[in-house]
Amino acid sequence: MQESFLSFLGENLQTFLTYTGVYNATPGHLFMILIGLFFIFLAIRFEFEPMLLIPIGFGILIGNIPFKDAGLQVGIYEEGSVLNILYQGVTSGWYPPLIFLGIGAMTDFSALISNPKLMLIGAAAQFGIFGAYTIALQMGFEPNQAGAIGIIGGADGPTAIFLSSKLAPNLMGAIAVSAYSYMALVPIIQPPFMRWLTTKKERVIRMKPPRVVSSTEKIIFPIVGLLLTCFLVPSGLPLLGMLFFGNLLKESGVTRRLAETARGPLIDTITILLGVTVGASTQATQFLTLNSIKIFALGALSFVIATCAGILFVKFFNLFLKKGNKINPLIGNAGVSAVPDSARISQIVGLEYDPTNYLLMHAMGPNVAGVIGSAVAAGILLGFLI
Amino acid sequence: MIRKKTGVFLLLACLLSIGAQAQRVTSMRINEVLVVNEDNFVDDYGKRNAWIELYNTSAGSVDIRGCFLTDDKNNPKKYPIPKGDVLTKIKPRQHVIFWIDGQPSRGTFHVNFVFDPDRENYIALYDADGKTLVDEITIPRTKGKDISYGRIVDGEERWSFLEKVTPSTNNLTLDTNEKIDNFKLNDSLGVGMTLTAMAVVFCGLILLYLIFKSIGNLSVTLSKRRAQKTEGTVGEDVVSGEVLAAIGTALFELDEDVHDIENTVLTIQKVKRHYSPWNSKIYGLREIPGK
Repeated sequence: MQESFLSFLGENLQTFLTYTGVYNATPGHLFMILIGLFFIFLAIRFEFEPMLLIPIGFGILIGNIPFKDAGLQVGIYEEGSVLNILYQGVTSGWYPPLIFLGIGAMTDFSALISNPKLMLIGAAAQFGIFGAYTIALQMGFEPNQAGAIGIIGGADGPTAIFLSSKLAPNLMGAIAVSAYSYMALVPIIQPPFMRWLTTKKERVIRMKPPRVVSSTEKIIFPIVGLLLTCFLVPSGLPLLGMLFFGNLLKESGVTRRLAETARGPLIDTITILLGVTVGASTQATQFLTLNSIKIFALGALSFVIATCAGILFVKFFNLFLKKGNKINPLIGNAGVSAVPDSARISQIVGLEYDPTNYLLMHAMGPNVAGVIGSAVAAGILLGFLI
Repeated sequence: MIRKKTGVFLLLACLLSIGAQAQRVTSMRINEVLVVNEDNFVDDYGKRNAWIELYNTSAGSVDIRGCFLTDDKNNPKKYPIPKGDVLTKIKPRQHVIFWIDGQPSRGTFHVNFVFDPDRENYIALYDADGKTLVDEITIPRTKGKDISYGRIVDGEERWSFLEKVTPSTNNLTLDTNEKIDNFKLNDSLGVGMTLTAMAVVFCGLILLYLIFKSIGNLSVTLSKRRAQKTEGTVGEDVVSGEVLAAIGTALFELDEDVHDIENTVLTIQKVKRHYSPWNSKIYGLREIPGK
């Protein structure tokens, strides 16, 4: 009797053991957990995009706790699990437009409105997307997958998630993590290319201070911006519609409460859910593939191409501008979006060569134009490839 | 004033309802018809009868309950599609079959009329008002048994006798993505995509640039004019009565200590705002790594 009870206990313990994370762990899980810890370290130690890397890093930990696939509804890929339900916002693509609503409500387009020619820099930087698209095609990706990978070069996390959820859902985890990682690494990726592609003389170009923009202009901007861009690329409507709507809430001056909510609690809530679920979607069994490594390589490349394209375009543009109206090419990198980090890099590198030359306000122009440009580019890819 | 508001509201409602049209019954199409069914699809009773297939062309679900099917142009309300059956809600880009067997007692999808295989037949779908024609088709005399007449591609205009009978599924099987195949075939390097897409991005932003350049010029001109006007009046009255009244009110409220009690007050005290890093680009900026 006692013996059979002991064997019963032993069997139970053995069964329990098969359910533990220790029993089900694979080298892949441990590797991904290390990556998650690295993200958290970067966010806390160096403050690299902490509001993104902390949720994503912790999400990676959550997503890579090994468990027995016994229908317990705990994993993010198990239908009906809590994580799976939260992940629907990513797979169905409704988190990114809500983030764009918040971005619109917190973005001041004054720099762009006061000097609209800076919009063209934001357009030029989109070469990063299509450069990566071309290389991805050569690496054997299908056109829809290449489009989803290329959008990493737009340096816009929500846009990357939105587009990849439509064009290549199976690659979305790698694309999202890659996009956010490189956005966090903008201070390391961009400065060497900014120095390499510019001369000392160009780096100290002083730009005219931006003029004061009237509130009427600020109100007109989101309305005209929406009508123009969406009539041209209707498939960009979810992102551009929400971006400009959020901006109108801010600029109209009569919907302050709505604007405060959009740029405060709403965007914070969605950022938390988006970050943690994107992180959790990197479950080792699904994530650790050769394709993921290729995507990371292409992502880095797309950022480099976008940065170089922005800077070279400014240099080219300067050939046609009168003396006194020239643009400092150090703001060319800001066209990749990654608001406001890439604009801050322009400012920091500029100050290294002239401590009294403040480029931040000028760089904000191409920076926000990059957001519009990447959303338009995403709309084009969606229209062509879906 | 109230009438004006109501008018604006109604106008908006109309505009919204036009926008919503795509997800309404008007999105339904008669998609395929089989008049002589000898060796084809079988209904729930194990019987072979003529059938028609309806197709939802929209991206939203459409409920066809209360609509009408008819084979008689003079009697649009011949067969009312019963209400209360959840199966009448057709999912986006999906099909539904109606049996033309003259036996409505067999269920929602069995109509009360039959086709005549020896002549042309007519079938129409009417909206729930019984007046709005949604779709109609005159089916030519059949070419033989088990040959259906349908749209070559689901929902599109052109009709033909189909090579394969395809009840409840696409008339033309879509097993590839034509757009992607085209890109693979004609643009394997991605140059075409790059040029086209960059041209569109540049066009969009150039248009924005041109518009805002004009708006900016106009705004500068107007503000200059306004400044000139103000300069002209400054000599006459340096501080306007309204400004003085505002200052007086603010001083009064400060003395009476009422300035922080109301929600909206005129004050000369510094207004504290809740700090949020999202509100400030400067606070959102961080030190360069390693410093």
